[in-house]
Amino acid sequence: MTWYVLRRLVVSFLVLLGISAVVFFLLHLVSDSPGRVVLGQRASPEAVAAFNRDNGFDRPVVVQYVSYLGQLAQGDLGRSYKLNENVGTLLWQNAGRSAMLSLAGLVLALVIAVPLGILQAVRRNSLVDRAATALSYVLYATPSFLLGLVLIAVFSQALPVFPAEASQSHSPWVVFTDPRSMALPVITLAVTSVAIFSQYQRSAALDQLGQDYIRVARAKGLPERLILTRHLLRNACLPLITLVGTLVPTLLAGNLIVESLFNYPGLGLLFLNSLQREDYPVLLAYTLVGGVLTVAGNFVADLVVAAADRRIELRK
Amino acid sequence: MDVTNTVGGIASHYLRVDVESTAGGARGAVDDGRVLTIRDLSVEIRRGERVIRPVSGVSLSLDRGETLGIVGETGSGKSMTGLAIMGMLPAGGRVTGGSIDLDGEELVGLPPARYRAIRGDDVAMVFQDSMTALNPTRRIGEQIAEPVRLHRGASKREARGRAEEMLALVGLPRPAERLDDYPHQLSGGMRQRVMIAMALACEPRIVIADEPTTALDVTIQAEILDLLDDLRSRLGMSMILITHDMGVIARHADRVGVMYGGRVAETGPTPVIFRRTRHRYTHALLSSIPSLTHDRDEELFSIPGTPPDLTVLQEGCPFAPRCEAATDRCRQERPELSAEEDGHTYDCWHPASGPATGERARFTTARLPLPGPEEPPRLRVVDLRREHPAGGRRRTVKAVSGVSFEVAAGETFGLVGESGCGKSSLGRMLVALDRPTSGEVIFDGEPVSGMSARALGPRRTQLQMMFQDSNASLDPRMRIGTILREPMAIQGVGGRAQRTARARELLRDVGLPEAVLERYPYELSGGQRQRVGLARALALDPKVLVADEPVSALDVSIRSQVLNLMRRVQLERGLSSVVISHDLAVVRYLADRVGVMYLGKLVEIGTTEEVYGAAAHPYTAGLLAAIPEADPDARPPREAAARVRGEPPSPVDPPSGCHFRTRCALATEVCAGTEPPLRAVTGTHRVACHHPLRPVAEREGAWS
Repeated sequence: MTWYVLRRLVVSFLVLLGISAVVFFLLHLVSDSPGRVVLGQRASPEAVAAFNRDNGFDRPVVVQYVSYLGQLAQGDLGRSYKLNENVGTLLWQNAGRSAMLSLAGLVLALVIAVPLGILQAVRRNSLVDRAATALSYVLYATPSFLLGLVLIAVFSQALPVFPAEASQSHSPWVVFTDPRSMALPVITLAVTSVAIFSQYQRSAALDQLGQDYIRVARAKGLPERLILTRHLLRNACLPLITLVGTLVPTLLAGNLIVESLFNYPGLGLLFLNSLQREDYPVLLAYTLVGGVLTVAGNFVADLVVAAADRRIELRK
Repeated sequence: MDVTNTVGGIASHYLRVDVESTAGGARGAVDDGRVLTIRDLSVEIRRGERVIRPVSGVSLSLDRGETLGIVGETGSGKSMTGLAIMGMLPAGGRVTGGSIDLDGEELVGLPPARYRAIRGDDVAMVFQDSMTALNPTRRIGEQIAEPVRLHRGASKREARGRAEEMLALVGLPRPAERLDDYPHQLSGGMRQRVMIAMALACEPRIVIADEPTTALDVTIQAEILDLLDDLRSRLGMSMILITHDMGVIARHADRVGVMYGGRVAETGPTPVIFRRTRHRYTHALLSSIPSLTHDRDEELFSIPGTPPDLTVLQEGCPFAPRCEAATDRCRQERPELSAEEDGHTYDCWHPASGPATGERARFTTARLPLPGPEEPPRLRVVDLRREHPAGGRRRTVKAVSGVSFEVAAGETFGLVGESGCGKSSLGRMLVALDRPTSGEVIFDGEPVSGMSARALGPRRTQLQMMFQDSNASLDPRMRIGTILREPMAIQGVGGRAQRTARARELLRDVGLPEAVLERYPYELSGGQRQRVGLARALALDPKVLVADEPVSALDVSIRSQVLNLMRRVQLERGLSSVVISHDLAVVRYLADRVGVMYLGKLVEIGTTEEVYGAAAHPYTAGLLAAIPEADPDARPPREAAARVRGEPPSPVDPPSGCHFRTRCALATEVCAGTEPPLRAVTGTHRVACHHPLRPVAEREGAWS
């Protein structure tokens, strides 16, 4: 087990190294002259060249990459070209709120999708099941910006229940402190996940319902409710854990749209603004965060599955 | 296995008190000894437009303390009858008529809450062991304790104590330590013991065991069935034993109900059913079982045709289309119930008059003379080994560890052994589907095991395999014609027209109509598919045929058809074949010589007569003794030495010296120290044992 974790950590580190290299070189291809970006279009070529020379941007790209890695090792993500702020600080300021939004969306999605999927499996081919499946496909196919706009149109304009703009508070606890203003972003974020998760949960639960231990539980005289909660639930959730693990980074991408739609100051909004400002150090750091989340999401999911299902031995 | 000490501890305060008074019924005012009475029970299952009638008009009864065997083939309705008693019919299923009376309480139409209170408490069920019969993510202790908590309202601690008692009762060593195990940590036999512990935790009045040992090896089957018998009498329960195996019935049931096509064909005390068989189906069924004493030159009796379609409403006797004594009356009129003394009843217009003898045909094809010893063998296996990585640091599964034997031209060699002994791994290497770790397979003088894929290509025509599960080994999207032509097409044999002609010929040889060419595998029955599997293996006219568990997936009546076919093919074509099976009777019927495998090694090898008639290895003797014979008079295994105890050790870490010593009653120090070599009993019979049951030559390999 310890060995397994160590090995996974080493492998994860290598993967992240690879991601950083690819992104670094790609960004370098797009913009090889940070001086131009920082000093603006009107700066003289001499000034740009001087800036690049002073900051080491005229060195070969490999050398620049290695020195970037050196900075990373010291926890320095570089400096924003435009915001005159450390990238690490920028990310940190926004990460909490993004995490809060994502987490709220994920929890809401699971709270709805897991029971829904199991209900669909238990009542398979019933009207409820068919309706839920059909709705899932429709929602899954709906782009979240469209869904967000529809939600705003209905619940903010037509029936003013919720505000159209998310809370601007800087506290990560906004979701709890100001639930009304966070309702629409969280729902928009959750809906797509509900569609995926519930269908996944349905097929996993159907698979488990066909297993003999369910029949055995029935033969013991357990009421259906206990059969589902005591015996089915954990087994039927195992595949979902893996799925959630792999989907963690896509939640980040979901944030991108939702945050810009509801003007919620989080990582997604920071990324979009940095993209417009050609603020490459921020983009690079954001991509690395995505990489870390992907690797960590899979890793944690594997550990959780192994803890929940003792048949799985972590080794190799 | 020490049951005696623990039984006293069972009457804990949270258990039913009246369990102890087994003979005197505490419930009814007048007790007739009946626990369960099923009258005219009918069940139907709706699947969309289709209506299946798995049970139609079944009447059976169960007395206090007795074992009622329900025997039948797939689709006979035996399992569905069990599920109907439990009130656990599958989705779309319902009882359409009749009654199930449990000690005065009518179960049909019982409110769900009341039924739940009975289930697991008064009536419990033991299912066939499968990997999934226990919840994989919960500890076995919790799973056993669950019904006790539910029905007895026991506290967590009390229920845990009870679970421990139950584990001890079913013979799990060190039960207290096992409570926190997960199911995957136990072997198949242990899991089945846990399953029994779970079912009996509340000391039910009735336990329904549905094929409780079908997934287990024969030596473990014997232990589990004896355990069930023992617990039934100790706890004063009644048992319904549902099985397809007449041998299990003969040894373990007091009374039998024989089911066919959703009806009870015949019922009565077990010895009476075997000795005064009346129903034509029972008669035919008993005749088709390959026994350990069958004359191998006679064909097995086989029932033609296939079981009835249960979606069609039956008019007359369901067995009429397959019955040789059937008349028009049988096809039109449902037989009346006839009764004899001893509660022996049957539904048959033309009852048979006694025990099954079955007029069997003798094989008309004289077997080709076997080549003399000076002729080179067709297939030679030299010190063959195969190891698989076991997922761990340098751990390997030693599937096959040093096996040598020869198969002459036209000879059939049988390989028997329990699951995991390496017989299938060996089989795959014989036809070059897998490469050995070391050692050689020599076919007609050429070592095929070391050949490159290219060199092997044309030789594959000569080495063919027939698989166990023809459902999985036939491509579901190919028509049978394509399946049969494919090997010829790959090897470039003939043109399309010739291949089709050959496919027709093959179908005729295996007794299938030509129309099958256009069918898909799912349109065929299991027996028909297995015939196609044989036809495919024969398509290239191979010299060697390896058949891995050729009939294990088939019902008895279909099994004998396929066995007869295989035997005829062997005799007519002069094939060299290797038949691999866990079923000793099957191997005995097909093979001229037999090798017994245990944990990757051959422990005994000899002619069929020698191995079955004068087994020299304690393992072989134990295997033979463990097979329940379909004869109630057959003596149960005599001395304890003949019983194989426990379960096979892991092939990852086999015991030192003789692999079998851990389960052997005769094992001594020498067995742990040195590995016994194969030594000669006669010129053709050899055994690897330090304490053989027959005198052997002193030196290794003498006599040969």
